[in-house]
Amino acid sequence: MTENNLLSLIIFAPLVGAVINWLIGGRLKNELFSGVVACAAVGVSCVVAFMIAFGIGTPHIGALSAPEGKPVLDHIWTWIQVGSFRADFGLGMDRLSGIYVCFITFVGLLIHVFATGYMHGDKGFYRFFAYLNLFMFSMLTLILADNYLLMFVGWEGVGLCSYLLIGYYIKRDEARKAAKKAFVMNRIGDWGVLMAIFLMYSMTGSISFFDKTVDGAQVQSVFTWVSQNVMAPESFAGAAIFAGGLTSIAVLLFVGATGKSAQIPLFTWLPDAMAGPTPVSALIHAATMVTAGVYLVVRSNAIFQNAPTAMFIVAIIGAATAIFAATIGLAQNDIKKVLAYSTVSQLGYMFLACGVGAFTAAIFHVMTHAFFKALLFLGSGSVIHGMHHEQDMRRMGNLKKYMPITFATMLTGWLAISGIPIFAGFFSKDEILYKTFASPNIPEPWNYVLWIVGLVTAVLTAVYMTRMMVMTFWGEERFHEELPVAEHPHDAARAEENAYAFGDASDAVEPHGDAHAAAHHYDDGHGAAHDEHDDEDEHHHALAHDFKPHESPWVMTVPLIVLAILSTFGGLMGVPYALSSLVGIKDANVFEHTLEPIIAKVSHKEAGHSTAATGEHAPAATNAAGAGHAASAAATEAAHDAHSPEEVRNERLLAGLSVLLAALGIGTGWMIFQKSPLKRMPKILAEKWRVDELYNGYIVDPITNLSRNALWKGIDIGVIDGIVNGVGHFVAALGGVARGIQVGFVRSYAAFILFGALIVIGYFIYYGFRLIG
Amino acid sequence: MDFIAENLLTILILLPVIGAVSIIGHQMFWKQESHLKWVTLFWTAVNFLLSLFLILDKSAASANGFFFEKNVPWIQAINTNYHIGVDGLSLWLVVLTTFIMPIAVLSTWHAVEKRSNAFYVFLLLLESAMIGVFCSLDLLVFYLFFEASLVPMFFLIGIWGGENRIYAAVKFFIYTALGSLLMLVAIIGLYYIHADQTGTGTFDFVTLLNSLKTGTMVFSHQTGLLLFLAFALAFSIKVPLFPFHTWLPDAHTEAPTAGSVILAAVLLKMGTYGLMRFNFTLFPEASRELAWIFIILSIIGIIYGALVAMVQPDIKRLVAYSSVAHMGFVMLGMFSFTEMGMQGALYQMLNHGISTGALFLLVGFIYERRHTRAITEYGGLASVMPIYATIFVFTTMSSIGLPFLNGFVGEFLTMIGMWNSTAVSYPRLATMFAGTGVIFAAVYLLWMVQRVFFGKVTNPKNKTLKDLSWREIGLIAPLLFLMVYMGVYPAPFLDRSRESIVAIEERLTKQAGGTIEHAESVPKAVIQTAKPAAH
Repeated sequence: MTENNLLSLIIFAPLVGAVINWLIGGRLKNELFSGVVACAAVGVSCVVAFMIAFGIGTPHIGALSAPEGKPVLDHIWTWIQVGSFRADFGLGMDRLSGIYVCFITFVGLLIHVFATGYMHGDKGFYRFFAYLNLFMFSMLTLILADNYLLMFVGWEGVGLCSYLLIGYYIKRDEARKAAKKAFVMNRIGDWGVLMAIFLMYSMTGSISFFDKTVDGAQVQSVFTWVSQNVMAPESFAGAAIFAGGLTSIAVLLFVGATGKSAQIPLFTWLPDAMAGPTPVSALIHAATMVTAGVYLVVRSNAIFQNAPTAMFIVAIIGAATAIFAATIGLAQNDIKKVLAYSTVSQLGYMFLACGVGAFTAAIFHVMTHAFFKALLFLGSGSVIHGMHHEQDMRRMGNLKKYMPITFATMLTGWLAISGIPIFAGFFSKDEILYKTFASPNIPEPWNYVLWIVGLVTAVLTAVYMTRMMVMTFWGEERFHEELPVAEHPHDAARAEENAYAFGDASDAVEPHGDAHAAAHHYDDGHGAAHDEHDDEDEHHHALAHDFKPHESPWVMTVPLIVLAILSTFGGLMGVPYALSSLVGIKDANVFEHTLEPIIAKVSHKEAGHSTAATGEHAPAATNAAGAGHAASAAATEAAHDAHSPEEVRNERLLAGLSVLLAALGIGTGWMIFQKSPLKRMPKILAEKWRVDELYNGYIVDPITNLSRNALWKGIDIGVIDGIVNGVGHFVAALGGVARGIQVGFVRSYAAFILFGALIVIGYFIYYGFRLIG
Repeated sequence: MDFIAENLLTILILLPVIGAVSIIGHQMFWKQESHLKWVTLFWTAVNFLLSLFLILDKSAASANGFFFEKNVPWIQAINTNYHIGVDGLSLWLVVLTTFIMPIAVLSTWHAVEKRSNAFYVFLLLLESAMIGVFCSLDLLVFYLFFEASLVPMFFLIGIWGGENRIYAAVKFFIYTALGSLLMLVAIIGLYYIHADQTGTGTFDFVTLLNSLKTGTMVFSHQTGLLLFLAFALAFSIKVPLFPFHTWLPDAHTEAPTAGSVILAAVLLKMGTYGLMRFNFTLFPEASRELAWIFIILSIIGIIYGALVAMVQPDIKRLVAYSSVAHMGFVMLGMFSFTEMGMQGALYQMLNHGISTGALFLLVGFIYERRHTRAITEYGGLASVMPIYATIFVFTTMSSIGLPFLNGFVGEFLTMIGMWNSTAVSYPRLATMFAGTGVIFAAVYLLWMVQRVFFGKVTNPKNKTLKDLSWREIGLIAPLLFLMVYMGVYPAPFLDRSRESIVAIEERLTKQAGGTIEHAESVPKAVIQTAKPAAH
């Protein structure tokens, strides 16, 4: 077991940064100070993460190359210990968390740097960076935790930070609503995670990710327990979900993942979350937090692989979310909304990958997605910055002329997400599609259905991303054009809401003067907390007639360039054999080999043949765990290395097909939107399939009405109080003291109580004496 | 020093009474009302500091398992002893009481305008009674303290309360007095049963318990149930358990801030404490038999309290209903009869005292400024009172049960205890329902936060509100500190209460045959060789 106390530095550096910014930054109000502190904190995390992951300057081998995927551990303190239950504050970096931590800290650092430019001039600068650092702390805790409960701490922590950052512009109505919605929807998912932890504990007696020794006690990991006690995957049947076995755990965990990673049915918070500042959207709602659900599933792959029903559900939900979100993405006019739906859709891909058993492909896509989606979001941030906070693409156009660097970098992101070869997204998405097609654990013909859904989504992705690029960067300049009159009530409501929130509607009760007065008041006050954000900065009114968009400063473009490079070449880490062998390289899939040891080895035989499976696994169970593992790992690797020519041919064919379709998508998008960028899209798509209305109408409103009218006014006030008061009146009337109570003098109550107390005590004395006497 | 150590509990109980007398004396000679709050603060602070000895003390427990035990004959005629002592169960509740009192006093700094001498006298008498409740080991003495705590609270609500104070005070009194009268009957019943079977009647809890354990005293099945129910009703009303909860919103809403804080932090705990101390140990069979009723009611309480809280137009009433939900978790954990569940329940009692106490303080702050509690009167306060908003959101997160804040540890332990319980047939289903309370908590609290703090300041009256003063920050700061500390490092608290909880668990799970079967159903796949030090 390798210990390295530096691990805790990775999570605590951002926490320290957050505290410094909150306590000192709030007083100084110096952007340079706040920015440097925040970036330095994440920088420290990033450096230490890479050191431990790659074994640079550490006494032990790097976590990414440790044999059998053994983790580097750091036990900090014992958090909760009651009876046989224990949850440590302990960290562990194995190959999976190593990859996550590296890209999170690196992309996080870039986004922090970008944000120093984007948030320039914002009154809550220090507060923003304090929240952002706090987010990094939570996210890294989530990833580095060595048990489910500590992971849940990070899980909820990122939810809190997301809440704070979505609601960052506290005066904006949509922001505060979106913040609450995000928190509550995440909480619904969290319920699933909690229940999964309970079930897991009662089943395995452990919640730990790793086998370890703490305070002299042996702690066995959940996964070791599974490998030793579960002989065959559970049956593929709906009943397994409720059987209280591994399938139940897996489904409950996935409920949590749908919340955090915005999958059907809990996806509606993510698009709304775009009300937060754009760097937040890039960091939290694209690159890191929303992929926590994928992390959870992959981390628990030993459980999922034994739960074919759960895997199937994951695959179906993933694919459904992917195509559903893509259709909505087609019809959005807000540049960030397009990207938000595209994120939901891409997350669907990742879950599809998990569901078909391609866990490494899922993580690969998480990483490449972090690169290109962070790039696209930051690029959109740069556009919004250059356009003085206009987010509506209908008022953009021809920006390539004014923002060449932003344009060039976003171009790579566009090609990457569309799946054009050599760009990062191509390899990861293609691997997911191939693995779906060839999945051994999805019953036919479902693997083909899922594959086709994946392909269609790929086309749609290329179309809507092309639409976004065309509307933003090509065509005519539409900066000064008025928006078309609201097309449908939803838009109108939003416009009205905005007008009210930003105080420029003619009938708004309080025009700007008040906002300034309030802001002024704040300045007089104490420096610590939620300060006033000047909404004018954040929102676009009418642009001056001589307005010209401008390119963003270097602190914003440099991160874009770095991310563009990663989006272009980052995919080369995981080129599959079938493709690399085309150019004569035998084994280029570094990524998959790195992750291989953390994927549990489970026979994919159907549950019906459990006898065979038991036979195969029996030696592993009886042997010492490690030896069994090594043996089966070696066997799998051997099988893996032998790429059958048929498989290779299939994979190449399918790859070719998806390139063709991506090109088709881009071509179609170009043809349509180059000609008419403002082409009206189907109403139902623009209205997001009216899912929000559905939830509000059929869930939120009925519960609220029930609570108010039936529970509170009906049962509480009506029934229970009715009985109580009735009894009270009856007793009062009976005793003839009703008059006294009605008069309501406190003194009379005092006498009343005293009298009662005397009776009680007298009763005692009487019985006491009777006893003696 | 020895004298203090010997009689620490008695001193803790009597010191507030001395304080009350000193206030009356002060008022007679100086007639300086403005001094009174300082005098009260002094006595409560001294009491708190003295109570810290309880935690620091490392001496061994008495033969009965209690610390600082004192047993002095009182009314020998009816064999009543002044028998007091603390164990892991009551220790933290005593400290919570002494801790919350100075804060409650500080919260009334400018709030009490009329008859402040009487106000402070009642406050101090209340403290005395509350500490007495948690220390008493004689049922009669317990009952007297239990009743005695009612009277000062009745006046605090009835005299210094809001508009509807009389209704609230009478409702509070009738509810709780009715319940405790039944308990009195049960206490007397126990006395006579013991007298019948052993020759001497006794109110002494330890003696009764020993007689029950050794079998020198046995109830018929029905007697056990009846006695259990009589005790349980008194305590359930106090908790309050659905459907006995309707006094709580009124009492909380109408009470002055200090009253609400004490009510939430301490008075409600007398119910859960009583159940755990007396019901579980004296009537383990009946407890097991009727556990399902209490579990169902507590789950209803969790969901019902949350749903009703959601639609409250009044901030204080909202927090009051959230108490119903939170105390539901405490009940759930207790009735799981597992070590985890009961540890969690005890921890959740402390957490609820701190978080909900803090919420009532915060509501009190804004009420002092605007004299309204209606949510619609506010909006956008975050930009006018940034410190207040920050602290409020922080406290809200603690109440919601965000991990690494105190509420989470308690809720988690109560639920995982219930999940692994064998007390009822469907413990997992029960936990799954109870778990939805975690979701609803986020809904009602964040919705309130959203409406009160975010958005634009729409009401002109809110534009000139002053942010918190140093006194206000100072009095809430210890609570904020504890929220973090108890969330991050619960070990000192849990370790201290472990033995007492395990003793109760064993008592509960001891079958008629005398074999001990743990209620937990977790496989021991994890080899636990190391036990942490007891302290």
